[in-house]
Amino acid sequence: MKKLIILILIFGVGHTVYGQTYNNFDTDSTTTTEPFNPSKTQFMIRGYGHTGLNTMSNDDETESSYVGSAFAPIFLFKHSDKLLFEAELEFVLEGNELEVGLEYADVMYVLNKNMTVRAGKFLLPFGTFMERLHPAWINRLPTTPLGYGHDGIAPSSGIGVELRGAFDLGGPSLNYAVYSTNGPRLKDGSEEPEEAGMLMFQNFEDNNNSKAFGGRIGLLPFADSSTEIGFSTYSTSKVGNRDSEYENVGAFLYALDFSFVKQIPALGGFVDIKGQYNNSDIDDATFIEIHEEDGEEEEEEYTFGNNSNSFYAQLSYRPTMAESDFMKKLEFVGRYSNFNAPEGAEWEEQSEQYAFGLNYWLTWRSVIKIAYQTTDSVGGHDGGGITNGFYIHWAIGF
Amino acid sequence: MKTIYKIFIAGIVLLFSGALIVSCSSTKDKYTAVTDVEEEFKIEKSGAQMWGEACNRCHLAPSPADYNDTDWETISLHMRIRANLTEKEITKIEAFLKSAN
Ligand code: HEC
Repeated sequence: MKKLIILILIFGVGHTVYGQTYNNFDTDSTTTTEPFNPSKTQFMIRGYGHTGLNTMSNDDETESSYVGSAFAPIFLFKHSDKLLFEAELEFVLEGNELEVGLEYADVMYVLNKNMTVRAGKFLLPFGTFMERLHPAWINRLPTTPLGYGHDGIAPSSGIGVELRGAFDLGGPSLNYAVYSTNGPRLKDGSEEPEEAGMLMFQNFEDNNNSKAFGGRIGLLPFADSSTEIGFSTYSTSKVGNRDSEYENVGAFLYALDFSFVKQIPALGGFVDIKGQYNNSDIDDATFIEIHEEDGEEEEEEYTFGNNSNSFYAQLSYRPTMAESDFMKKLEFVGRYSNFNAPEGAEWEEQSEQYAFGLNYWLTWRSVIKIAYQTTDSVGGHDGGGITNGFYIHWAIGF
Repeated sequence: MKTIYKIFIAGIVLLFSGALIVSCSSTKDKYTAVTDVEEEFKIEKSGAQMWGEACNRCHLAPSPADYNDTDWETISLHMRIRANLTEKEITKIEAFLKSAN
């Protein structure tokens, strides 16, 4: 009997020991329980859309319109663990027409743990607003701050190549991006005299051989990633057309950005502060103004110090730790922004804007925004004055 | 005879629990050399905490259940590049998202 038990024990223990010793774990992984191996090649269609009602009024009129109806599909094509292609189309209804735009289309490849290369048309890391915060489901207000978008001084995208990456500094971290693009073009006033001296950032085919260079460096000084400060530049020695008198006009742009996002228990929720300052300095050039005097056209030359800047700061608060489910989904937002276009230019302008909003987050990427905005400007497109706007928008990412 | 029976039972129980403990505790990691870096890891944050911090910086953080593993791989690569996250951050966050969906 004893012998039998010892035999069973030896057999039992031996079996386990054998199993443990010679187990090469090949069959140990979870993949064996899955019906198939996932493909490395993956394709996703996603994007975002928004729509809403805008009511704007100034001294003499009030306009109200359902607007937006923007739809931006995004295509993500993952070729391997290192190679990704992204493209965004944008469909917008504007002025009774459908505008289609290619927001970006670029290919990216992870070279090593600290460096990725991108090429194509990509959103420029000039500050953070255009690259990271402008999509309607991310932007906390239905409008963009002054200085961005149409006639803005901050570039949004470019065609070229870029290297970017991040370094872990054992708690703090540092990220960088350096790029070269076709660069901006100067509007010399031959087509739109009232815009002479502005930069046009869409430059699909370079108008001169001088490339633009830019970069951003971002520092997250704390281990909780709550805070980031960034510095960006974008410059080129030539913005004018080849062989024109403007060819050698150069431009230097820089931006400072700040971000702080943290859940603060003492305040019962998330505090989110964002800000960016943009400065654009273009070499002085002489432009031509055409007057009409006594039925005759007269040309007059003029010049101005071509320096513009804009700034915004936004504070938002979500009471995520509130008792009520309804309160948890609310967000309160306030934003200040200003814009200064050069004195002496046809597009001279000084504007200041305040915007206040109340948001209701249906999900993490779907939000109803109600906002009030007041803009006080001197000069500019509409000749200045005070414009008030009331907005109700619904934005959704998918 | 009774003692033999007890020993037999005890042996079986020991064998079972031993086998159980050994098989449960034997993870692949045990067989790779533990470097200094990995030692440090133990007192570091979890992927879940990093997700709560890093993924709220620009937009509200999605919940792990919003996408399947395959989509998380694509999104992680996209966000790693767009948001300029460090390799360590995205690796840990991706692992968390895939484990919690
Ligand atoms: C630096 C800002 C930033 C951070 C940090 C960030 N995201 Fe994003 N995220 C974006 C932007 C911008 C988009 C929209 C991309 C677009 O539409 O072009 C986006 C889109 C997404 C989408 C939609 C699908 C896609 O890939 O476009 C998901 C899901 C997402 N982010 C998840 C995450 C997760 C998870 C994290 C944390 C690891 C994270 N994000 C961190 C900026 C950020």
